[in-house]
Amino acid sequence: MDPVEVTQLSKVFETKEGKFLRQSSKRVVAVDKIDFKVPKGEIFGLLGPNGAGKTTTIKMLCTLVTPSSGDAFINGFSVAKDQQRVRENLGVMLTGERTLYWKLTGQENLEYFAALYHLDPSFSKKRIKDLLSLVGLNEREGTLVENYSTGMRIRLSFAKALLNEAPVLLFDEPTASLDPQSSRLIRDLIRDLKRQGHAIILTTHNMEEADILSDRVAIIDHGKIVTLAHPVELKQKVKSSDIIEIHARNLSPQIAEALKSYSEVSKVAVSAEQGDEELLRIHVEKGKEILPRILEFLVRKQVTITKVTFIEPTLEDVFIAETGRSLRD
Amino acid sequence: MQQITGPKVTLAALAAIFRKEMKHHMRYPGNFVIYLLLPFLFTFLILGMGMATGGASASSYFAERTGTSNVVVYEILGSAVWMTSWVVVEDVGVVLRDEQMKGTLEQNFLAPINRITLLIGLSLADVVITSAIFFIVVGVTIAIVMPSSFFSIIPAFVALLLGLVPLFGICFLFAGFVVRFKEPYVFTQVVNLLFATLTGTYYPVTFLPYWIQLFSRLLPQTYVIADMREIMIANQTLVNLYGSIFILLALALLYPTLGYAIFKRIEKRAGVTGEFSKY
Repeated sequence: MDPVEVTQLSKVFETKEGKFLRQSSKRVVAVDKIDFKVPKGEIFGLLGPNGAGKTTTIKMLCTLVTPSSGDAFINGFSVAKDQQRVRENLGVMLTGERTLYWKLTGQENLEYFAALYHLDPSFSKKRIKDLLSLVGLNEREGTLVENYSTGMRIRLSFAKALLNEAPVLLFDEPTASLDPQSSRLIRDLIRDLKRQGHAIILTTHNMEEADILSDRVAIIDHGKIVTLAHPVELKQKVKSSDIIEIHARNLSPQIAEALKSYSEVSKVAVSAEQGDEELLRIHVEKGKEILPRILEFLVRKQVTITKVTFIEPTLEDVFIAETGRSLRD
Repeated sequence: MQQITGPKVTLAALAAIFRKEMKHHMRYPGNFVIYLLLPFLFTFLILGMGMATGGASASSYFAERTGTSNVVVYEILGSAVWMTSWVVVEDVGVVLRDEQMKGTLEQNFLAPINRITLLIGLSLADVVITSAIFFIVVGVTIAIVMPSSFFSIIPAFVALLLGLVPLFGICFLFAGFVVRFKEPYVFTQVVNLLFATLTGTYYPVTFLPYWIQLFSRLLPQTYVIADMREIMIANQTLVNLYGSIFILLALALLYPTLGYAIFKRIEKRAGVTGEFSKY
């Protein structure tokens, strides 16, 4: 059995809508019958936009949310039935820096969680020292977490997830809001953990990160896994198309939609960029032939074009090809 | 990896939670100072109100109705017990919501420990805090007002400890409700004021309408306050008070069991609704 096995896992939330006394219940399918396995020594990326179901999946795997149906097994233990054993076999880093006690020092935080994970005190002393050194916090071990920078707090959270040397590691957006240097450190550490044989699940909406770290990527949208393969294989799928990237202003969704009337255009996705600029990504056949017509159309519609590029497909393009919209929608 | 096993697992977790809580109390010292000052301030408030309404006869009226003329000790014992229950409600009842808002609740729930360990660990830290409040507030008052009865503080403290166990049980229940319905501070304020009103904090419970006294009898502090007054003012012993001590012991068995069972139900429901992740 693989360290992670997920079968037909689903989560449906009941939410209330409407004003007081006129509320009605609504069922929201957050995760819809997903299946996947993660063997030892693999980094499995769960990629999708916000609200796609990544975090709910992670929370079901780590027993914080009860599945509505289906099951998942962590090192052979069911998340529905053997929750305590599942927790023993997991190291989890959830999103954000507010997962630590800010009035405790870095070392005190790790000591606290080491005790909750049943680590022998003499062993945990050395383990904590090693982990603080690993994430570059050994010289700030006695500083209160409230005085740490965001990057330091996230690195400490990462160290916390490694305390119990769990065979399965779950990292939910591990580099979100980190500076490039800290992001690189975390990515290098994740690669080392893979080499040590850990099964790693990584959720991210950062395509580059999923691309460079993951052995396999599952793209999740509206709670369903829309595609699952090695990043190179996924990108190969869209390689047959040309991809034009246009930075523009005054671009309405209607104008972008109208581009689909060209027979050569297969997919169009728009996402916000900095300021009032937007990024238009167009999947087309015979890109060089159709580009002048596209530009002429946009100019006629009074769209201000600031930059045009032909690009190599990324996982973002795989997502666009599979779902018809951008990851950053 | 070297791990501990057996009962050591729970003991180590309890010790860690206890240490963490104590460090938080020490690093937020303002709360503790307030906990020490409030019993005195409330007592002065009540004394002032009594003198304003009773005038020159206030003391004799008070003695007639309560059986003692020692107004200060009578009121400070009520205030001290109220303050200890206040601390327990704020800490055990609200701490899970507090941790939920900080983002640390999920981290605790990710660890392979029983939820009851978490609740008991929090309660242990409160035993120390409430004991300190009691010894300082009551000790200082007794040393000044009636030094000859100073050592009666020890059996009074035993009564306090007996009352804390069922109070923790009530707060386990509150902890679940607070996580479910949010808005902890509205909740704690109502609960704390109800406790002060119903448990005879500043007046004998017998002043209350009979049907309200029925609710008073369900609250452990009612017995603790009455027993302390008997011990410290009327020179009774714990043995003489066996009736109320027996009730406290029964509540100490019943309330934690009931409180934890309901907490578990709410917790299970929170897993289904994803409630623990909501702010």
